[in-house]
Amino acid sequence: MNSEVYVIGRDSVPQYLRLEAGEERTLTLIVPPGNGGRLVLEADLVGPGASLDLAGLYLCPGDERLDLRLLVRHTVGGCVSRQLFKGLVGGTARASFDGLVYVAQDAQKTQAYQENHTILLSETARVESRPQLEIYADDVQCSHGATTGYLNPEELFYLRSRGIPEAEARRLQMVAFLAPVLRRLPEPLIEEIHACLS
Amino acid sequence: MDELIKDIAAQEYKEGFVTEVAQEYAPKGLSEDIIRLISAKKGEPEWLLEFRLDAFRKWQRMRPPYWGHVKLPRIDFQDIIYWAAPKRPEDRPDAIDPALMETFDKLGIPLREREVLAGVKSKSEVAVDAVFDSVSVTTTFRRTLAEKGIIFCSFSEAVREHPDLVRKYLATVVPAGDNFYAALNSAVFSDGSFCYVPKGVKCPMELSSYFRINAAGTGQFERTLIVADEGAQLSYMEGCTAPMRDENQLHAAVVEIIVEKDADVKYSTVQNWYPGDAEGRGGILNLVTKRGICKGSGSHLSWTQVETGSAVTWKYPSTILKGDYSSSEFYSVAMTNHYQQADTGTKMIHLGRGTRSRVVSKGISAGHSENSYRGLVQMGPAAEGARNFSQCDSLLIGSSCGAHTFPVIRNQNPRAVVEHEATTSKISEDQLFYCNQRGIAPEDAVALIVGGYAREVLSRLPMEFAVEAQKLLSVSLEGAVG
Repeated sequence: MNSEVYVIGRDSVPQYLRLEAGEERTLTLIVPPGNGGRLVLEADLVGPGASLDLAGLYLCPGDERLDLRLLVRHTVGGCVSRQLFKGLVGGTARASFDGLVYVAQDAQKTQAYQENHTILLSETARVESRPQLEIYADDVQCSHGATTGYLNPEELFYLRSRGIPEAEARRLQMVAFLAPVLRRLPEPLIEEIHACLS
Repeated sequence: MDELIKDIAAQEYKEGFVTEVAQEYAPKGLSEDIIRLISAKKGEPEWLLEFRLDAFRKWQRMRPPYWGHVKLPRIDFQDIIYWAAPKRPEDRPDAIDPALMETFDKLGIPLREREVLAGVKSKSEVAVDAVFDSVSVTTTFRRTLAEKGIIFCSFSEAVREHPDLVRKYLATVVPAGDNFYAALNSAVFSDGSFCYVPKGVKCPMELSSYFRINAAGTGQFERTLIVADEGAQLSYMEGCTAPMRDENQLHAAVVEIIVEKDADVKYSTVQNWYPGDAEGRGGILNLVTKRGICKGSGSHLSWTQVETGSAVTWKYPSTILKGDYSSSEFYSVAMTNHYQQADTGTKMIHLGRGTRSRVVSKGISAGHSENSYRGLVQMGPAAEGARNFSQCDSLLIGSSCGAHTFPVIRNQNPRAVVEHEATTSKISEDQLFYCNQRGIAPEDAVALIVGGYAREVLSRLPMEFAVEAQKLLSVSLEGAVG
């Protein structure tokens, strides 16, 4: 199983995925600062035993208008899909996440998980999150979660009280927030994202 | 599981009787003349007629909303009777028609239940306003309430006796042109309940409204206005039923709740409108707008709803959290069966600083039904330190039903936190096996598991309703075999 990484604005990103029986794919999407517009990804799981592991992070520190749209359709049973998207939104950026998991009738034993977490970094940033489940089969395990919040001031205080400068402490908080997605990336790309955060 | 589905599908609607009471109708259809007629029948002041006409003109320019996850039959708004009243010209409040009384007896509604409850609580604790088709039939315990300065009466009466209050608050939370069905209601609303709790008064008993659609071919459009002044406290309950009929009947209500500084309102509904038969014929189209505003700081509004009826439910009780440090809760159990469709949820709009909200929604779908949660949590730019937590769970019984979750989260404040989580599952074989193994019959086990699943919400209901709600849920699951 290979892990694919796509950087928006640099790589050509697939817009449609079709997973046959037993096929496993791991995809990670990176939206670096300065990228806006609409990003659409659709995936069909059409053979039993297919598994899709999708993750992404988006960094919008400026005046980006990002609109992420994901649609994962389980048309047969016995497939697994996971989505994990994390965003840092600052400046006057607007970022919206719209993800739908569709489970067709009789797609029993489906497992589908979807998560979207965002952190607001400025007064003028806006985020919107629409994680959606549309389920027509009963023997399934589906869940989704979404949060929006801010960098915890108590964590910041903890770090600063141990002599870490404020800017560095904030960077650490952001790195920690993005860590679940970052660890899927090759080393040079991680370095690059770290550089974006400071 | 198949048997379970069959058994659930075989359930009859228990409140499906028609009461033979002489009724007075307005002609079918909707026009300015009909609105003038309704207004004249009720002897309304000029300003209210103007309000209705204005809403009607707005409504004429509006289109029905299409975004719900429901298939609505086409509604012919000219084929509905907008006004039907039981013919009781004089002293309606004190002389209840025996046939009507029987209806209430059959339903076992709080009017009678208060006597049962008298054994539990030393004094009767429920005041009821019953709305039968379009007219408020009776309001009990007026005197006890009046001593405290609490106004609890039918809407028409409030217009007559407390016009200033009604005028001050009417349509301040749900404007006449808010949405298609709210505009329709504003134009043709027949009656409903009005409640005002003055400054610092704690309402000594539960207030309750009871709605029933009886006449064929009619729609019900009640309007409820609840105002809790500074520091007041109130618990309000609402129940509904309708007879079995082959055609769809329209129910488009508007509920407005105003909660002033430090006041506390708890609003509970048990909705049991006729859901249509096993093939999905007939049933009530329940298209209502409910909204409250936490106007002052420290105010609190709590919604609790148990939805088991209606062919189509389209309902989003919402709270606008305007006052600083105000809070709101939404607890819901929505059960759908046969071909019922429910698209329900809540909106929490955080405007003030430090506002809090909590949403707990439990959906249960069986048969061929569709059950959706649709919600909005919005943090405005001034909602400093605001917080929301939402939890939406769905339980599927059978493989022909659908359960959906459509939340929207909007955050415009870097010091506000929103958390949402949702799960979908069915009653697992393991859970059933565990119960069976300990000698619990399969159907009891299902009832037990569903009861446990819905408990967090049911435990929020006032006692009178908790009993009824528990009964409703277990009736729907009677004879269930996993």
